[in-house]
Amino acid sequence: MDERKLREWVERLREAREVRRRFANWEFIKSQPPKLRIALEYFVETGDFRTAAALAGMGADEFVDFARLEAGIPLVY
Amino acid sequence: MEAMGELSAKLREWIEYFEEAREVRRRFANWEFIKSQPPKLRVALEYFIEVGDLYNAAKLAGMSVEEFNELRIKAGIPSVG
Amino acid sequence: MSASAVADTSFLIDWARYSRSKLLFKLFDVVFIPESVLAELRSERTLTWVAQGLEEGKLAVLPELPDASREALQLVARSRRLPVRPVDYPEAYCLVVGRELGYAVLTENGGALAVRDYDPNFASVEVLRALDILYRLWKLGHVESFRRELEVYERETKRLYTARDLAKYGDAL
Repeated sequence: MDERKLREWVERLREAREVRRRFANWEFIKSQPPKLRIALEYFVETGDFRTAAALAGMGADEFVDFARLEAGIPLVY
Repeated sequence: MEAMGELSAKLREWIEYFEEAREVRRRFANWEFIKSQPPKLRVALEYFIEVGDLYNAAKLAGMSVEEFNELRIKAGIPSVG
Repeated sequence: MSASAVADTSFLIDWARYSRSKLLFKLFDVVFIPESVLAELRSERTLTWVAQGLEEGKLAVLPELPDASREALQLVARSRRLPVRPVDYPEAYCLVVGRELGYAVLTENGGALAVRDYDPNFASVEVLRALDILYRLWKLGHVESFRRELEVYERETKRLYTARDLAKYGDAL
């Protein structure tokens, strides 16, 4: 394992989370029913669309469209 | 030279055959049923009508070939070509 | 550059929204889509894009290959032992197939991009994001301005490339 690269990626993904947090439409997110709100919040924190989609009960692409178009969450990694 | 001519004649014959098959599928398909399907199945059925390719249509639908075959029968689409 | 590529979910659900998506086939003869990726797609837009690509012979479905599948599962498990975002099966499968069959791997997934960097087993795999594809298209003269095309892409997909991502193409921007 390239430890240096690993650390770099930890940092990159942390920065990505900051970007998602900053640009997300929190008013929209907080107005959602629990299932969708939790999925969107999870997605903002982790960038893991797959699990977020499962939480929301949506297909992966359906969820990503919902997140990026309606909740304003930019896709970073 | 003659062999090449024969080859492209055969190719043209097949292209025409597949085009006719597509027309038949389009004509017999139950479009009301197809349009009432969820996106995944609708796209797969439309793809099957256009191309007649059961294997990839089934993949698009997320079904086995056998399951998709049942669906295309329900959708009135004949298996031609 | 590989004449064939294999695309994962994260790449496809962006690229299918891009108004000039057909440009992808200027770089690749065929783009393969693993069954596990196809299974995740439900939106009409993405599925229609895939169906059209299959019809035109530009896309092909990649079936599950037992050896690749086994190794992908091992990669999924291994990546979960590390402090960085783990990789899921569809991306892991793309990486293994990319290495074994010499296909470029098209992905936007952070876990997969990280694996390529830190795991020596995958150092040889060519991993491309849309950013890289657009750059190559510009170098080959298929798009007029890399910067403008990137702006279009970001606007249409809401994919954001960070300063760190863009640093390697500094001269072109």
